[in-house]
Formats: sequence, structure tokens, C-alpha cells
Amino acid sequence: MRKYRPKTTALLIINIAVILLCTGLTVVTRIYLVSFRILMILLIALFWAAAVLFCCVLLPLYFRRTVVYVSGIELCLHTGIFFWRREYMRMSAVQYVTSVSLPLSGFSGFNFIFVRGLGGTLVLPFLRSADCDDIINLIHIKITERQ
Amino acid sequence: MAERSGQQHPIKLFSYTTRYFWLLIIPILRSLYSLSFSVDALRVWLAGTWFDLIVIATILAFAWLRLVSVTYSFNQERIIVRRGIFINAEDLIYYREISTLSIKRNIIYKIVGASKVYIGTNAGIFDRADITLVMKRSDADCLYGCVMNSRARTINYSVSPNRLRLFIFSIISSSTLSGAIVALAFVIEVSRLIDRELEARLIMDALNEFAARMSAIVPPITAGISAVIALSWLISFVTNLFYFWNYILTKSPDSIYVKSGLIAKNGHIIRLDRINFIDLRQNLSAKLFRISSLHCQCSGYGSTGRSELSVVLPITTSNEIKGAIQEVFPEYPNPEIQLKPSLRSFPGFYFWPVILAILPLAAYALISLIFPGWKTIAEAALLIAEVPAVWLAVVKTVAIFTTGIGFSDGHLVMKYAKRYGFHTVISPKDRITKIVIRQSVPQHIGGSCTAIIYTASDKKVRHIIYGLRLDKALSFFDRQGFDLYYSENPLQ
Repeated sequence: MRKYRPKTTALLIINIAVILLCTGLTVVTRIYLVSFRILMILLIALFWAAAVLFCCVLLPLYFRRTVVYVSGIELCLHTGIFFWRREYMRMSAVQYVTSVSLPLSGFSGFNFIFVRGLGGTLVLPFLRSADCDDIINLIHIKITERQ
Repeated sequence: MAERSGQQHPIKLFSYTTRYFWLLIIPILRSLYSLSFSVDALRVWLAGTWFDLIVIATILAFAWLRLVSVTYSFNQERIIVRRGIFINAEDLIYYREISTLSIKRNIIYKIVGASKVYIGTNAGIFDRADITLVMKRSDADCLYGCVMNSRARTINYSVSPNRLRLFIFSIISSSTLSGAIVALAFVIEVSRLIDRELEARLIMDALNEFAARMSAIVPPITAGISAVIALSWLISFVTNLFYFWNYILTKSPDSIYVKSGLIAKNGHIIRLDRINFIDLRQNLSAKLFRISSLHCQCSGYGSTGRSELSVVLPITTSNEIKGAIQEVFPEYPNPEIQLKPSLRSFPGFYFWPVILAILPLAAYALISLIFPGWKTIAEAALLIAEVPAVWLAVVKTVAIFTTGIGFSDGHLVMKYAKRYGFHTVISPKDRITKIVIRQSVPQHIGGSCTAIIYTASDKKVRHIIYGLRLDKALSFFDRQGFDLYYSENPLQ
């Protein structure tokens, strides 16, 4: 059994993106709602509270809880924020695999694998490039063995 | 048999024309009809409508091109469908790969001697037939015979439910929603044929007359809502009754053959080893009378028409069901469960009934506050809106005692309630695509979980079993060879 965890660089990049987005929203709110002072303050506070919750609690929790287990027989994913989820798919049920990699994914960890079974899909998120190749190779070997 | 080739039936030309084609033709014909039949009048008519006539001729020409560009040929072992004028595409399907062959003949097709043929295989990724053709009736019957001849010929079992049972089945399987869908589809079809204004006037006249008669007895709003619900249910009931009338199921060692229909005639050939699961369905009234209908999930079956059901046995009593499963699906075990919901999870069963009950109450409170004059209407609407919530609460109460999961003879047995219906699903272990064990925060505290099981299908099919004890569920799946790595701690 091999165990894979999400790349933490992805967490850092998402956190930076959220902070940038929040800064942008704050600037826009400051420009356009300056005459509604209370509403403006409320909205800015809301944006930053959501950003803090997202960056400091939810996302780290998601990354901490997400683990992918892969063996020759099955694929298993433990994940969840509000719901704990243990997802299981047999190798024999896999029809094909879609991998999605964003630019600079080797550095950022924005590699996703969509394992397609007949009637269901298992999404393996934020993988390192090497892990992504490793999992895809293993699944391809298993599919080839079946034929 | 020599290879048989052909083109689609000319009736298909009508469905190849554009959606609002008829709206163009009607005013042209109307203006032609209003003229006196003389050469001058015809010339005047042509001068006024020449552009419309060119548009109609172009639409018809394209439809005709589409019609002639699709051809088929079949023999004893395979069918080939060719499409395209400039770019040719060819589909070749061997009969042994066909999961479901469906042949349907509605009243118009019966009159013109046509049949609609649906061919479903396991290769499709969408919930629809891989090939749909409109054939001449003789060709469709010949194809049905060819596919039948490619299967085992001995007959093991044949059943035809009596008409009283079919009547009861139509009552219990009819729903307001599916009736409303059929009614909506009918209105859309009609709108293609007649002027929208005329359609609106007809509907409004009928509704006004109905409302005027009913207003003397019950408040108009209550009457209106009740009428819509009753009419939708009635449409669904009549549709089901007509569809399943003269239902005959015949089973050979490798296939089941289904024929049914009072006016429209339907025939299906379903390959047994392609069935992903069987499903015993009941609603609350059926459960009280201890009757159920047996459905199956197979690519192409039950997905070829509006509100179509994937029925194997329309109605059977609880005493007969074990025998029926053994006869039709001898490899499938009796539906017995080993794991039931935990006591702590019982409140969770009432989550949706409570939400359904609270929403109309909140709306009523809001309307009473903002529009006090509408209070009487809001009270009537509240009463009607609370009925589904109460009904759902009763269904969920029964579900507490019937939900569960079991495993025997290589098959997973799942009993659960979905919306207002009860399901008993039996699926071979190798057709289980994915298993998800999900825990919400209250479930995490209480040590229970929800098992979501995905079965093989050309669409997403989930079976949700709520309220199992987490440790028991994990060890249950582990025993059956589904290792969810529950001993591993993700936080380490």
C-alpha cells in the first residue's frame, strides 16, 4: 500500500490568492461604498473574517485530513472538512483516468487525478507531480493487466 | 437470412424539421385557404409568401437530406448504421454486445407502419440509447427476431400479471411529478403545432370554467392547487396503465423479453449478465399492502422515454417475491440485511421532514406579517404544503426500522428510503463502483455514519444508507473485501 498526501505548497498558494482577492475586494469596497461607511466596514470585516476562517482553519484542516491510499487492489481517499469522507474504489472498477495539471504544477502541486469508474468518479486532489505519475502508471498497469 | 438494408421510415422527416417549422406553415396555409381558387389569386398569394415558401422548402430539403443520410443494414449477427453526407460515420454493433434492445410503436407510428428502435450497450457514458432509429415495422420486427435468435432459445419462465394487479401497480407507481412532466411535454408538443395565443386562450378558458364551478364549494386557491395535483397524478396513472397493459415477461437462460402496451406497443430484450442491480420498489401504501414492483438497472432499459420505468415485474406480493427473484434472477440471493441503523442516529432521519415542515411555516409567518389580507389564502396553502412534510416523516419513521445493509452469495443487499419510496437493491459485488463512508459533525460525535454506494451504470446511481454505526460499517465492508483503511489515522 502506498500513501500520498497533498502538496502543502498548494495550500500556501491558495492562501496567498485568497489574501490577494480579499485585498482587491477591500479596495473596491473602499472606492465604491465610501459614502455608506457602516456597510463598507461591515463588508470588509466580513471578507477578512471569511478569509481568516478559510486560510487558517478550513483549508489547513482539509489538507491535514486528506490522504490517498493506493494498492494493487484499491484506491482509497480520506478527506473532508464539515463531513469526514472515506472513499473507496476497486482497481477492477476503473474505466479510465483523467489527470489535470495546471501550469507550474510541478512546483505548486495543482495536480488532480479523476479516476473514472462506471457510474462514479474518485477525485484525488493536490498531488505532487511524481505522485501523480506514480498513481497514473499503477492504474494503467492494472487496466492493461485486465485486458 | 440475407443481409437486410434500409433507410429510416419517412415519418422521421418530421422530427428532423426545425422546432417551430409548423408556425411557418400554418399562416401560409390559412392565407391560401382564405383565397378564392383562381390563377390571379394564386399569383397574389405567391407574391406575398414566396420568401416563406423558400424557407419551408429549405427546411424540408435539409430534413430530407438528414433522412437519406442515415442508412442501416443488419444480418444474423450484427447491425451497421451509417450516417453522414460528406463525412461518413459507421457504427457496427454485434448482437452479443447489446445490453438492451427496445422497440416502441406509438399510435402514429402504428398508423404509418413505423417503429422506433433503441439499441443500448455498456459502451455508452450517458443515460440514453447508443443508437436510435425509426425503422419500417417489418424491418424492426426482423431485427427483433435476429437479436432473439442470437440468444439462448429455451424458455425458463414466463409471467403475465393480471389486469387488477396492473391497475393497482399503475395507482401506486403514479406520481404527481411524472404526470406534470408528461403534461408539460404535451403542452410543448402542442405549442409546436398551434398558435401560442390560441393555446393560451384554450387553457385559460378551460381553467376559468373549472375555477368558476369550484369556487362555490372550496376557496379558489385550494381548488386550483388540488386540481393541478389531481390532474397531474391522473395523467401519470393513465400513462402507466396504458404502458404496462398486456405486460408479458419471458425469460431464457441469458435474456429476458418484455412486451407491453395497450395502444402503444413496446418490446424489450434485456441481457441478464448486463444487469447491474435489481431493485424492489415500494411506496408507503404498497408497503402497507405488502406489495412491491421489481425493477432492474441495465444500460438502455427504462431510459428511452419520458417517465419510463425500468420494470421487470410490475407488481408482486411479499410472499411471491422470493420465488419471483429465484425464477427471473436465480443467481441473486434473498434480500436479507445484517447491519441496521444505530439508535443514536434516529433523529437524523427526520432532518428533511423537519426542514420541509419549517419552510412553509416560515413563509406563512412572513406572509401574515407583511400581507395580513392574504392570511386566509396563506392558511390554505400552509395546510396543503404541510401534507408532504408529514407524509415524509411517516415514511422516514418506517425507514428507521427497514433500512440496512447485508451481504450474501457475492451480492450486496441495500435497503433504504429515498424521498417517498422504499428500495431494496441487490447488486453483484463486482458491480460496486465506489463506496463512500461519510460522517457529519453530529454523526462524528454519535459514532454513526452514512454509507453511499455507487453501482455500475451509465449514469450516476447512488444508494444512500443512513445511520449505520461507523465501526460496524467499516468492519462490515472490510469483511467483504472493501478495505477503507479505517485503521489508518489521516491525521498522522
